[in-house]
Amino acid sequence: MSRSYLFIPGNTPNMIQNLDVFESDAVIIDFEDSVMSYDKDAARILIKNFLQKFHEQVGNIYIRINDVENSNFESDVNDTKDLHIAGYVLPKASVEAVNTLYKICNGLDIIPIIESPLALLESQKIAASKGVVGLLFGAEDFTKEMGIERTLEAKELLYPRSHIAVVCKAYNIEAIDTPYTAKDDETGLEQDAIAAKQLGFTAKALIHPNQVDAINRIFAPSPEEILQAKRIIKKSEESQKGAFSLDGKMIDLPIIEKAKKVLEKAQKYGL
Amino acid sequence: MKVTAGSLESSDCFITISKSDTLVIDIESVVFEQFGDDILKVISDTLNSHKITKLHVLCQDKGALDYTVKSRLETAIKRMGENHE
Repeated sequence: MSRSYLFIPGNTPNMIQNLDVFESDAVIIDFEDSVMSYDKDAARILIKNFLQKFHEQVGNIYIRINDVENSNFESDVNDTKDLHIAGYVLPKASVEAVNTLYKICNGLDIIPIIESPLALLESQKIAASKGVVGLLFGAEDFTKEMGIERTLEAKELLYPRSHIAVVCKAYNIEAIDTPYTAKDDETGLEQDAIAAKQLGFTAKALIHPNQVDAINRIFAPSPEEILQAKRIIKKSEESQKGAFSLDGKMIDLPIIEKAKKVLEKAQKYGL
Repeated sequence: MKVTAGSLESSDCFITISKSDTLVIDIESVVFEQFGDDILKVISDTLNSHKITKLHVLCQDKGALDYTVKSRLETAIKRMGENHE
């Protein structure tokens, strides 16, 4: 369970060695788009030496490897699977691609990126695949493949976002929203993140450290939500009933379970 | 033939290696007075671990930590095909 997944280019020492100060719940070290093809080997060696030296100081690390059709795919996995990482973010996901990764990744977590119309249609099977702990929506490639423009208002993303959020909820895995690419637009970022949370996303990927605070705040329970959850649990324990009334509203098992999840999140994030 | 790895960006270093009849290590660094010996040790240890005794190494350092110097040198060695492990 993480609120924020910060992408860090995999071949930049000045970013890599500061990743613990960014306060993102999870970090995705990128071997794909941000690393030039001639420097993929350099990125793998840099990350291997970095994680071997600093593994005790870094937390929840994922690596976005190159896709299964790319010649770097196997080296990306084989050179990193014994390091101190949580798992892999897999671009251009399909059921076959996830299964291929699962066979060689030593049981590490897999977060497939849903970034094509076909992957969206397959997302239920992808979510059900072995090793998958969450789905990440990749809106840039998705809109490119759809032949549509990605806008800051994101109306064009409503359907794929809703679909992915429902699939993730159905399979009890993390739903991670696409990054908001206008890195200096704080208001837009907050609106975008709130909209994603409202659809059921549990976290958001980020492309810049200055987005971390807002995302962590938005995807954490608010003080009002925590207070209400505490009241519900207290009343539930006092009443010893499956359903009861609080502030004139009926409270039953699904609401009690939701309150427990809110308190679980609040505890995890020290709220 | 010269082989390179790394960059001249902050916290990185640019390693250039070329074949040589002897071992030559040149270091250019803005922090040479404070960390020159440490950089030399990382380079020497890395070459030793790859059993390399003859090579010209030029390290243009921009404040790289030891893991970065080691990584860039290992990348250059791998690219040159000089890994004698």
